[in-house]
Amino acid sequence: MESGAASNAVGRARLSCGPDPDKGSLMDARLSDQADRDADADLLSRYAAGDAAAARLLAARLTPRLYAYAVRVLADEAAAQDVVQEAMLRVWKIAPDWRAGEARVSTWAYRVVANLCTDLLRKQRTVALDAVAEPIDPAPSAEGRMQDAARLDALQAALTTLPDRQRQAVVLRHIEGLSNTEIGGILGVGVEAVESLTARGKRGLTTALSGQRAALGFEDDG
Amino acid sequence: MDRDKADQSLDALFDAARAAPPDVPEALMAAVVADAAAQMPAARGGGSLVQRALAALGGLPALGGMVTATCVGFWLGLAPPEGLPDVGEAIWALGTENTTELAMVDVYDGGWISGIEEGFEDE
Repeated sequence: MESGAASNAVGRARLSCGPDPDKGSLMDARLSDQADRDADADLLSRYAAGDAAAARLLAARLTPRLYAYAVRVLADEAAAQDVVQEAMLRVWKIAPDWRAGEARVSTWAYRVVANLCTDLLRKQRTVALDAVAEPIDPAPSAEGRMQDAARLDALQAALTTLPDRQRQAVVLRHIEGLSNTEIGGILGVGVEAVESLTARGKRGLTTALSGQRAALGFEDDG
Repeated sequence: MDRDKADQSLDALFDAARAAPPDVPEALMAAVVADAAAQMPAARGGGSLVQRALAALGGLPALGGMVTATCVGFWLGLAPPEGLPDVGEAIWALGTENTTELAMVDVYDGGWISGIEEGFEDE
């Protein structure tokens, strides 16, 4: 993948990526524990000073998390790659101007990914309803697989049935393991709104997965 | 109770998803690292020694001005307009024997400007 070779869809998303992630409600995403230093910010600072090794370390820390998030939200690996490359490009570009202590680098990067994903999903919906991202390798092919794989496929399929914001909130909260405060900073909403989004998202997932519990091996759980 | 079971099932799915993140494609990681190298602030002004020296001088526009000034100065030295001392002739000893002697005197007297003035008087 060449630099700047993002798909046209992502290119369009770049033009309307939402509010500047470096401003506004992201200020609320300050470290909940100030004693916990942002190691990513240190690496970004070193990168800005010309340390190539720091860039590789930061890429290794952020890229897998952002990619996992984007894949689960978009259910499209190619689009997720484009989104993450673009988000990381913005991380590199903002390095000289990064204001340490105002927000976590990871939170900022997550927010860029969230905005790009939102824009992509919105455009996909406007192009054709039946073109909305298909779940990766959907559940019917799960026969003969390990049950965990079938469960992940089912979860992915269920996630794609959720509205964009609920899907992002659920992925960030329950899979990526971020705090509600961080998610609020990423999605640009308050903590209460995050709680509402995740609660509604979980109810939506439960509905989408109802009837599959036995197939997924949850018949005797609980 | 059903709600509890559903929540537990969902939590188990989340745990499974968290434990099995998608593999990052090597091409993506390579592209990200390549972008980092291209965007590195220190690298933005980088390049060859000549490019860095040119940038330090102010780029091509500044270099153009320097070349012009050098050419004009060189030309004035070779063919000074009337009214200006022929410094080139004095320094390079291309003129008359008398001027050469004056130039030599200048060096030993420690005041070549006064020597040039004397040259004017001779002319």
